[in-house]
Amino acid sequence: MTPVLTALGDWLHATALGRAAAGGVPWLWAACETLHFIGLALLIGCVTVLDLRMLGVAKGLPLAPLQRLMPYAVLGFLINLATGVTFFAGAPDQYTDNGAFHLKILFIALAGANVALFYVSGVAKRIDALGAGEDAPVLAKMVAATSLFLWIGVMYWGRMLPFLGDAF
Amino acid sequence: MLFAHTVGLSLLVGTNMVVDLRLLGIARRLPLAPLDRFFRVMWIGFWINAVSGAILFAADATTKAANPAFHVKMGFIAVAAIDLVWIRRAVFRRPTGDDVVPRIGRILAAMSIVCWTGAITAGRLMAYIGQDSGAQQFINRIGGL
Repeated sequence: MTPVLTALGDWLHATALGRAAAGGVPWLWAACETLHFIGLALLIGCVTVLDLRMLGVAKGLPLAPLQRLMPYAVLGFLINLATGVTFFAGAPDQYTDNGAFHLKILFIALAGANVALFYVSGVAKRIDALGAGEDAPVLAKMVAATSLFLWIGVMYWGRMLPFLGDAF
Repeated sequence: MLFAHTVGLSLLVGTNMVVDLRLLGIARRLPLAPLDRFFRVMWIGFWINAVSGAILFAADATTKAANPAFHVKMGFIAVAAIDLVWIRRAVFRRPTGDDVVPRIGRILAAMSIVCWTGAITAGRLMAYIGQDSGAQQFINRIGGL
């Protein structure tokens, strides 16, 4: 993975974004760190509420309106993608050879595959019909449990970037 | 501890934002009463962060106590926590129990989003403001600003 990341990092670092994040715009890094955590709260918050409902918490909630919250989860993800790319562009050396970063990317990819499974398998559509008090199908529960595990994993590897690797 | 603090944040602020968004009129078809169950999730997140936060503070108390961002963060958290208790009283503990959000609920929800955003901002900036901040080492490493 490292050579691909190094090539990508070299290219991004030379862009205007890379120069800005590397100190060209002094406040940019701190601002992106802040936004990264606000995006995190939006993404993980919306996803956790839906996952917990599918697993049987707060069964009084019908699932259709709960799924209307997902655009906010996507918004959180996009905020974090944009700010994350900014960090990578600003200081690619911190990440290219960082095991915690590789695992974070792997977990994000797996979480993405899990989301794809949720929609492609038709589970999302099936649970849309579930009203208050109704139990989610087994596949939905598996997707929900996997989602919780993977997103908590993403946060774990993200927080470990400075400790297992060498990122700030 | 930083990991626990991040998970606690996502539980507390994330779930609280969902409730706030609902009170502000998003996903309006979502009944209010069952959302009450998520207050337990929020308080679990709150206590995870109170404990992990106290440990993180103890590890570096003199630096953190002198950091203005730390005081701002504590102020925002105090208001947000009171706001949360107030939302439960004003919206979820009403005798009527219908799905109409009273005006005070919308005001409290907006205030909640502002306070949590403020707390996260101040918390993140603790690493960049004040002496001995981690950012200075980072800035030195990337060759200065």
